[in-house]
Amino acid sequence: MNVNISIMRHYLPPTVKLNPENNTIELNGSWEIYSINAVEWPEITANSHKLTIDASQIISLDSAGAYALIEFRKKLHARNVSSIVIGLSADKAELYDLISSKISHLKPQLNQEEKEPILVRIGKEAYQKYLQLIGLLTLVGDLLLTIKHNFDKPRRFHFDYIFSNIAQTGIFALPILALLSFLIGVVLAYQMGLQLETYGANIFIAYLCGMAIFREFGPLITAIIVAGRTSSAFTAQIGSMKLNEEIDALETMGLSPTEFLVAPKVIGLTVVFPLLIFWSNIFGILGAMFMGKIMLHIGYHDFLVRLRESVGLKQMALGLYKAPAFAILIALVGCFQGFRVGNSADSVGHQTTKSVVQSLFLIIIIDAIYSIIYSALDL
Amino acid sequence: MPQNIIEIRNLDNKFGKQWIHHKLQLDIPKGEILAIIGGSGSGKTTLLRSMLMLQEPLAGEIKIFGENLKNITHAKAQKIRSRWGVLFQHSALFSAFTVLENIMFPMQELTNLTKQQQQDLALLKISLVGLPNHAANMYPYELSGGMQRRAAAARALAMDPELLFLDEPTTGLDPISARQFDELIVLLKNSLNLTIVIISHDIASLERCTDRVAFIGEGKVLALEPIEQLKLNQHPLIAQYFSNII
Repeated sequence: MNVNISIMRHYLPPTVKLNPENNTIELNGSWEIYSINAVEWPEITANSHKLTIDASQIISLDSAGAYALIEFRKKLHARNVSSIVIGLSADKAELYDLISSKISHLKPQLNQEEKEPILVRIGKEAYQKYLQLIGLLTLVGDLLLTIKHNFDKPRRFHFDYIFSNIAQTGIFALPILALLSFLIGVVLAYQMGLQLETYGANIFIAYLCGMAIFREFGPLITAIIVAGRTSSAFTAQIGSMKLNEEIDALETMGLSPTEFLVAPKVIGLTVVFPLLIFWSNIFGILGAMFMGKIMLHIGYHDFLVRLRESVGLKQMALGLYKAPAFAILIALVGCFQGFRVGNSADSVGHQTTKSVVQSLFLIIIIDAIYSIIYSALDL
Repeated sequence: MPQNIIEIRNLDNKFGKQWIHHKLQLDIPKGEILAIIGGSGSGKTTLLRSMLMLQEPLAGEIKIFGENLKNITHAKAQKIRSRWGVLFQHSALFSAFTVLENIMFPMQELTNLTKQQQQDLALLKISLVGLPNHAANMYPYELSGGMQRRAAAARALAMDPELLFLDEPTTGLDPISARQFDELIVLLKNSLNLTIVIISHDIASLERCTDRVAFIGEGKVLALEPIEQLKLNQHPLIAQYFSNII
């Protein structure tokens, strides 16, 4: 009996020694999962038809070690060499027998993914997209019904949730939005200034930057930042709630997830979005003024007077009109993708990515639609 | 003389101003199935987390495989981690992997076995815990609670540990699955030479599979004896615990 195995054991590499005289294989060392791949099995020549495997010197044996030994004996068997194992202590023999009884039933079955014809895949994908559209429309309908019912009992609007959403999606976004808008204003003024300088039309910088920022850049930058910050946050929040069965818990209590999770987000974002665009406009114009002063030597006062005369509030309003569409879209896409989270942590990440990409995609489409409408109306 | 795989000396843990453990002592000898029980908030989970090096105790000494966990080097800690397996309360299977991949994952990362060997060994573990073969390619969420627990046990056994921690292994299982799971624990202990530490509330299950039970209360191990004796223990906390449950 080997009693003196210290608790912090030493691993000895497993070794195999073939003794050709009496057809014996001697095993030595620790036969464990970390070391069994280091075993160098001897070449068995055809003249030995009966082998004795002497395992009495093995220090330790675990199921991986037993597996390695069994595999070796299988190989021997395939070459018509019969073998017996001797010298295993009682508990090791028990483990060996257990593993060898289990291993004979192993049926390796790896997933074999069948490749489908391309048309089938296109069809399936299209159908999935169709289902998604239906799902989104269902959510919109559910949201409208919820808001309609809420008017019967204004408490159901959950103003505290709305306010916390305004803080999360609006107020905390102010610094980053200000910084990026300012930088865009600077870059815009610089690029235009290069051209204007050659014509000596410096003062037009106010008109050009004002038009570009009020009508396009302000709303778009705001939408892009909110899509990145907020739509992903909505998806991750609702997605993890779904994983944690919190959505199911709400449903079973007879409470509507739309009322608690979707409506406050959509309403909050719709309220705060025009303000964010306005904020972005201010800093975009500041950036343009700053660059105009440095590069084109236009005073701040002249710039602002020119801005009021040639651009005016009307153009700013045209940009602000885009706010509700962007806000509702971003909030809806974020929530919708959150509800589509499946059963794994992986799918939270997957749907979050999807929600940001889809929001950005749809923002640009909607912006284009607005441009078409404005030009049709000669605005 | 039996060797102690785990030795805990004078363990102290505090939560806010309240002592969770105060001078707690516990020895777990090799080859034993030992359960840790106690009322809610008695510090079972904290004790487990301290042993698993997930949480540093305030004071005191924990020795696992003879190594003191305090100020342990990274290499030694990794060595200890390679010799234990843990079954978490909620199974904690990686949801993005199939059962087979879950079990192969530690082998893939920690050993130099070939893919074929890893797969064979993983399938071996799957059949050892009594899961059907086709469960190998299923994702955790496709399995029932009992099957998830078995898959988690198979993953805990992936590296052939000598020491197995089970955190509430039968909680939430139906009585039949729970009994089968207990039989599995005893089978594994006998055939794989394991030392098993169980945290549990399930008295019926403790009766079936434990050698001894440690009752934790008042920050200490109040009693450490086989479950039949523990049930007759006159200590007020212990008597109350059993009177509430049975």
